[in-house]
Amino acid sequence: MADVLDVRGVRKSFRTGFIPRTRDVLRGISFTVSQGEIFGYLGPNGAGKTSTIKCVLGLMFPDGGTIMLRGLSPLDPRAKAGLGFLPENPYFYDHLTASEFLDFYAQLFGLPKAERAERTARLLRLVGVEKAAGLALRKFSRGMLQRVGLAQALVNDPSFVILDEPLGGLDPIGRKEFRDIILGLKEAGKTVLFTSHILQDIEMICDRVAILVEGRVHSQGRLADLVSEKILFTELTVSGVATAELAGLGQNVSVQGGRTLLKVADEAGVEAILALVRERRGRVHSLIPRVQTLEDIFVEAVRRS
Amino acid sequence: MTILVIARNTFKEAVRDRVLYLLLFFAASAIVLSRVLAILTVGDRAKVVKDVGLASISFFGALMAILIGTGLVYKEIEKRTIFTLLAKPLRRHEFLLGKYLGLLLTLGVMTAAMSLVFLILVFAHTLTLELRLLLPVGFLYLELCLITAVAILFSSFSTPILSSLFALSFYLIGHFSWSLETLIKKTPPGAGRTLLRVVYTVLPDLENFNLKTEVVHGLPIPASLYLYAPAYGLVYTAFVLLLAVLIFRRRDFI
Amino acid sequence: MRTKTAIILSLALVLLAASGLKLKLDALPRATVPGSSAVYLPTGKFLRAATFGYPSFLADILFVWAIQYYGNPSIPDKFERFEHIFSVIAELDPRWIDPYEVAAVIALEDARDVPLALKMFDLGAAKNPDKWIFPYQAGHYAQRYLRDYALAKSYYQKAMSLPGAPAITKRLFANAAFQTMDLKTAWETWSEIYATSEDPQIRKIASNHLYRIKATADLAVLHQALGAYRERYGRWPADLDRLAAAGYLSAVPKDMDGRDYTYDSGAGKVEPAVPFWKR
Repeated sequence: MADVLDVRGVRKSFRTGFIPRTRDVLRGISFTVSQGEIFGYLGPNGAGKTSTIKCVLGLMFPDGGTIMLRGLSPLDPRAKAGLGFLPENPYFYDHLTASEFLDFYAQLFGLPKAERAERTARLLRLVGVEKAAGLALRKFSRGMLQRVGLAQALVNDPSFVILDEPLGGLDPIGRKEFRDIILGLKEAGKTVLFTSHILQDIEMICDRVAILVEGRVHSQGRLADLVSEKILFTELTVSGVATAELAGLGQNVSVQGGRTLLKVADEAGVEAILALVRERRGRVHSLIPRVQTLEDIFVEAVRRS
Repeated sequence: MTILVIARNTFKEAVRDRVLYLLLFFAASAIVLSRVLAILTVGDRAKVVKDVGLASISFFGALMAILIGTGLVYKEIEKRTIFTLLAKPLRRHEFLLGKYLGLLLTLGVMTAAMSLVFLILVFAHTLTLELRLLLPVGFLYLELCLITAVAILFSSFSTPILSSLFALSFYLIGHFSWSLETLIKKTPPGAGRTLLRVVYTVLPDLENFNLKTEVVHGLPIPASLYLYAPAYGLVYTAFVLLLAVLIFRRRDFI
Repeated sequence: MRTKTAIILSLALVLLAASGLKLKLDALPRATVPGSSAVYLPTGKFLRAATFGYPSFLADILFVWAIQYYGNPSIPDKFERFEHIFSVIAELDPRWIDPYEVAAVIALEDARDVPLALKMFDLGAAKNPDKWIFPYQAGHYAQRYLRDYALAKSYYQKAMSLPGAPAITKRLFANAAFQTMDLKTAWETWSEIYATSEDPQIRKIASNHLYRIKATADLAVLHQALGAYRERYGRWPADLDRLAAAGYLSAVPKDMDGRDYTYDSGAGKVEPAVPFWKR
């Protein structure tokens, strides 16, 4: 089965400014998104995430490389029929109400009236704005607009959903709700691609990721493969032991109100401190092994380029 | 059919634009004030009322087409509502044509409104319902169709201010085509004259849609005008829209 | 890229079609009403109101329009509104000289109506009583085109006394007076010119004219005497002294230089010894 999305060697540069200077935005991007997975596309601001998405959607035309949506070109309307898209900081027609807006978009898919009404109501309920269905969009808050945006991305019951920074501007409850919806989409057999620079969200729900730094894909693959299980160091918070004695066993990070926070590089060091604390009849307040997280990889990737 | 969906939505949006009603108010005022102008002049008062009324409809109609049209596509790009729209199975030219048709419908409603005021005023003056005056209004609407296409063309790649200037220039050039003709007659034959001839033929002549003088003064209109003028309007509009489609289809939305 | 070429081809085709239709439309005869713009000329009492505070600017526009209007040969009855149009311009900017002069030229050349031209000068003079140019030109028009020396004389008289009037005005006045046989005024004026002028050329001219006036007066007297003599005696006298002897003349006048007048006894005509300009 063809990959849902196949990006190969995509390049794009702009000429900006009064005295034209070329700015390379995408320098040869390649990645694939397979059926039924949640794919995280991450990178720092300005890396080219949104530009990639625009090329995939046919809003921008790459200078080189190919993009295939289930074997079709992005400009083919058939490719768009099974596609849903939520842009970053969405903005919609002020004067329409939420229901009118969804109905308008539904019309573009040629859905008959009854089905449009049913779908509109269902989607508004799904994203949690059914109470504001008759309110003009200009009165919506940012978070509500984001929800309506998600609703319009799903109006055609797409098999592939692309979301650009979908969790930006949402409060913690909103973010949980969105994450649940995205997981629900996966359960329904859909494929999701979303970009973000908030790593916790990616870690929580993505199957595979690609890290984009300055127009190049730094690394991509299954989350589990990228992030090793290795313990980097252990953070201990103890009390009742003189700081001087602990000094040699680990890096003394800070002392606060009688407690000492230590960073210990290896297992042996941890054992030694525990023994010491037991000896002095002190207390271990916390012991947290720090494994390599996505953030570490990310920071490393950015720092290296 | 997606074109009609876009058109309907564009109409609903354009009809809410306050600028439209401001211009409608000014147009109505100008038409009514023509009565004052008639008192001021030496000439035939009814003719002045009709002449000024038709001129107002032409001028304000063009202004509406330009001011609304130049913002139409630009606003979508600026506010980025176009992103979600083009992500749907909608070809770019369908979007453009939908916008165009929506605006045409809006202008049709506005022109009808202005014509109503105009006919009422003429009735108040001459006590006859001069439906013949709807003929120049019809041709004025044809001209508006062309001007709207030009406004949409510029709106698809330029800011509203620049687009308005360009569209306005188009309107002025179109009405002063005869001065270029005079210039050609005075130029000695040669390469310069041929070049001017080519430029003259390509530039629009909006006076072909101007039936004001004939109808107001009761003069004859050549029969073939009824065939050729609308054909000219249609063909030139097609030219402008094709150009807009050509420019719009490969445009990057940054 | 196929669609792109298709679109470009269609563009060229459509443009060609449009151009063809345009040429076709150009060939159609469109009725026009030349001069219909005159309908919009405001009338007197609403004039100031119509200017919206820019009367001289409106005067400029009206003047330019009027020139175009009167330069258009196909407008019928265009002189119907002539006076009205230019009186409107005069009302808006009375001190502007050009419109009056141009109007006079138009009246003269196009309308071939000299009294109308004079009316324009009168209008200018009425609005600008201190400007010599109006009665001066009016005098010229009267003299040249109407050959109405009486009228010319009154105009020159008016112009003469206005500040800045050229010296020739007085001479023109004197000449006009002479042409209307007002010999007294002519003599007085030429004498004045002779006395006050510093230019020897002018004095010569004045002197010549004075000579002529005297000659005219003398010749009139002589011819009248000759006529009376002939009536009495049935023939012309042999010479002029006979006239004096017979009592028809108190004395035989000589010309201003002291020469005798030449007498042709066969025809009974007296003439100056030399034409007055050849003295």
